[in-house]
Amino acid sequence: MKKNFDYVGKSYPVHDAIGKVTGGLVYAGDMKLPRMLHAKLLLSPIAHGIIKEIDTKRAEELPGVVKVFSYKNSPCTSYSRYRLLPGQENCPADQKLFSDKVRYFGDWVAVVVAQDAGIAHDAVKLIDVKYEELPVVTDLSDALKNEAKIHESGNLIREYGYTIGAGESGVAGEEDAVTVETTVRTPRAHHATMETHVCIARYDVSGKITIWSSCQGAYAVRTIVADFLGLSYNMVRVIKTPVGGSFGGKQEAILEPLTAFLAKETRSTVMLKLNRRECILSTMTRPEVETRLKTTCSKDGKLLRCDINAVLDAGAYATNAMDYIAGTMGKITKLYRIPNIKYQAKSVYTNCPVSGAMRGWGSPEFFTAVEIQMDQIAKKLSMDPVTFRLKNLVHPYDIDQATKISLGNAGIIDCLEKGAAEFNWYERYNAPKTEGRYQIGVGFACGAHKNSMYGGGPEFSTMTMKMNEDGTFLLNTAVQDLGCGSVQTIRIIAGEALSVDPEQILVLEADTDYSPYDFGSYGTRVTYVCGACALKVAGKIKEQILDVASLALQQPKQHLKIENAQVYNIKDKNQRISFKEIGIISKNKYHLDIIATETYYGVSNPGGYGAHFAEVKVDRLTGLVLVTDYLAVHDVGQVINRRMCEGQVQGAVQMGIGYALSEEVSVNAKGQVLNDSFKNYHMINAPDMPNVRVILLERGGDDGPFGAKGIGELAVVPVAGAVVNAVNNALGTNLSHLPLTPKKIITALRQDLNSSI
Amino acid sequence: MLIQFMLNGKPCRIDVEPRKRLVDVLRDDLNLTGTKEGCGEGECGSCTVILDGAAVNSCLVLACQVRGKEIITVEGLAQNGELDPLQKSFLEHGAVQCGYCTPGMLMSAKALLMKNPHPTEKEIKEAIAGNLCRCTGYNKIIAAIKNVAEDGGNE
Repeated sequence: MKKNFDYVGKSYPVHDAIGKVTGGLVYAGDMKLPRMLHAKLLLSPIAHGIIKEIDTKRAEELPGVVKVFSYKNSPCTSYSRYRLLPGQENCPADQKLFSDKVRYFGDWVAVVVAQDAGIAHDAVKLIDVKYEELPVVTDLSDALKNEAKIHESGNLIREYGYTIGAGESGVAGEEDAVTVETTVRTPRAHHATMETHVCIARYDVSGKITIWSSCQGAYAVRTIVADFLGLSYNMVRVIKTPVGGSFGGKQEAILEPLTAFLAKETRSTVMLKLNRRECILSTMTRPEVETRLKTTCSKDGKLLRCDINAVLDAGAYATNAMDYIAGTMGKITKLYRIPNIKYQAKSVYTNCPVSGAMRGWGSPEFFTAVEIQMDQIAKKLSMDPVTFRLKNLVHPYDIDQATKISLGNAGIIDCLEKGAAEFNWYERYNAPKTEGRYQIGVGFACGAHKNSMYGGGPEFSTMTMKMNEDGTFLLNTAVQDLGCGSVQTIRIIAGEALSVDPEQILVLEADTDYSPYDFGSYGTRVTYVCGACALKVAGKIKEQILDVASLALQQPKQHLKIENAQVYNIKDKNQRISFKEIGIISKNKYHLDIIATETYYGVSNPGGYGAHFAEVKVDRLTGLVLVTDYLAVHDVGQVINRRMCEGQVQGAVQMGIGYALSEEVSVNAKGQVLNDSFKNYHMINAPDMPNVRVILLERGGDDGPFGAKGIGELAVVPVAGAVVNAVNNALGTNLSHLPLTPKKIITALRQDLNSSI
Repeated sequence: MLIQFMLNGKPCRIDVEPRKRLVDVLRDDLNLTGTKEGCGEGECGSCTVILDGAAVNSCLVLACQVRGKEIITVEGLAQNGELDPLQKSFLEHGAVQCGYCTPGMLMSAKALLMKNPHPTEKEIKEAIAGNLCRCTGYNKIIAAIKNVAEDGGNE
């Protein structure tokens, strides 16, 4: 593999960083279009009920109000906001824009369209609604027992599972084996993108709808909106705007169908921009999941059997809940060699906020549970937890027994060994515990994730590249940069392929009227698949450049080489021609247009891996936990943009520490959300954030561009497990109900005290 | 009501509604959309601007309160087309991802350095304690600010 790259592996800012530091970059919420109207939602103040009466008259009479919509004057068409393509399985159409039944605290009751945002805000308060309250289901463990039905179909959305080997029946060698049972709860979390959800839709006289949206997949949005409104796909155009963070929270078409409907009905341009409260309550959350694991292990530390039972709380609408339990959730086979596995999972409706995609798509939920349990097993075996893991982790090119797809050059053993050495694990883990108010603990966790949708659905990307008359390039894609540097990644890859400074390549993002097709940003597919597509199309352009150079220099192509935006003759280095010259002579002398369109089809889905190590300081008096040291080691195949790759990991650690310690959208017995603002939804801020040391292993060996694999989703997978294991190490506890808030820690310490008296 | 104040070094006269927040006047009336709003209650810091030398959340300030005062927004950092050292350092250190918290981060950092050109790392962290970032984990932002601090921001 090529190691002396010109551009790959170096550090670059994100492509639009100058616009971001100067405040000049226009996000959707910054846009001002002529005669633009503003919409404001009325959210349900109860978690479950029937709307008996809704009176919008007073709101409509407020000067400046254009129209008010509720279930009474909006389509009763049901749709799935999660659907990627028409005809896709597992996308229940269980949602309408508005219904006469509200199903969660924050469900959409009505919307006001007004001349400005202030009037819309005032007008929603003038809508009178009378509800008949219904019994509520607020916990996943209660969903299937409770008689309250959230949808006609009942509260079970899907049951899914798989069995490997003997499943749950007894297997040889179990007689004197050790069995550990663990129940782990991982919380309903808010994505907390700093930019809240926002969408603009414009109706024009031809009947066409144009949508500007901070979204993750413009083509999916287009099909959902067009089908919902009964329009052909060429009458809906979706333009992706700069995204102020997403993390899965903008994967689904949450605001677009409504905003497009409002634009169509009012025959104008409408902006719908949510405030933080609306964003927490009525977009989506990471699902709360309860995972029960029963694992049997031989005395010498070999995993023999694992029974996994998981229940996922989808909230009031299914969205992606059928697929979520069948994705990476339950795929212990990506991380461990276990001969006998039984996985059973259910996704259920409750009257809680709607859950959906969030960074890692099931991997953080699942591997947090697995890694908390692995520590418990090691403890029971009196074995060092690193040593125990090393006996069971997958090896390079193992086959994922659940999917029958190769795990590729899986580097988890490498990650764990290097991490343990760098963190000085064995010494720190065995350090004697001190008495007193503050307890120090260390913990680690391993994590795995996938790369692309290959094996689970269609997987390809198409791009068009052309050379401009001055030798610069335009790469047209439907890539969607969510703020993490995807465009720069694509640019670096294409630049490396063409031996040209990435700055010379303009990469366009999704606009459904102009872009070649791509599925969008999710499933850790952008670097792995879109990056491979960029490499492929740039390779085609390179051939065309050499064709022109061959004509111009009167040399056979095999004698020509590209270096620093020039083509030269390897036999006479003085004979050379620049890209700038090629750009113009290709057209005016040789009548050749340098342009190529290529589709890259995914061919593999290797595992991405990481081992994270954390040190925590627990205050036994207040129950507060501070993460004081952190090391993250990742197998990324090949780094493309080094500083951004590190930044992805460090940002994921911020999110993962919150997941472990403080972040939860809490719901009370009536289904009301208790923390609907940043005042009481606690994220890690700068003083509480540890310095995260990042080690990136570049092992290559897979099909991504230059051997690269994804990092963004993977990086959050091991965090919560590492932090929880460190807290349990500090306190000698077996805490497994996240987040480990001060209240839970103090309660556990008191129980400990009581039992020792 | 008609108010006058200094905005990014230039006098600004504007008629504002008494109940309007500074963030709305900046964004809606003055078209300075670099200042972002992330929570509307002073918790996230995305809307931070500098008011008479101090970093404030412009969502918690009424526009009429800035009468006669001096405001600097992110648009006022670069001078004569030259980026401020903090802006350059954010670019060089990979401190920018989605960019939504970036203007607020820059303004909190700028206010710190205006008052204290030699901050310790602890002081830097405290200065941005009210600025939430969901992308970077703060590490590279802190490094970027440290780099601009005159003595390197060492403890």
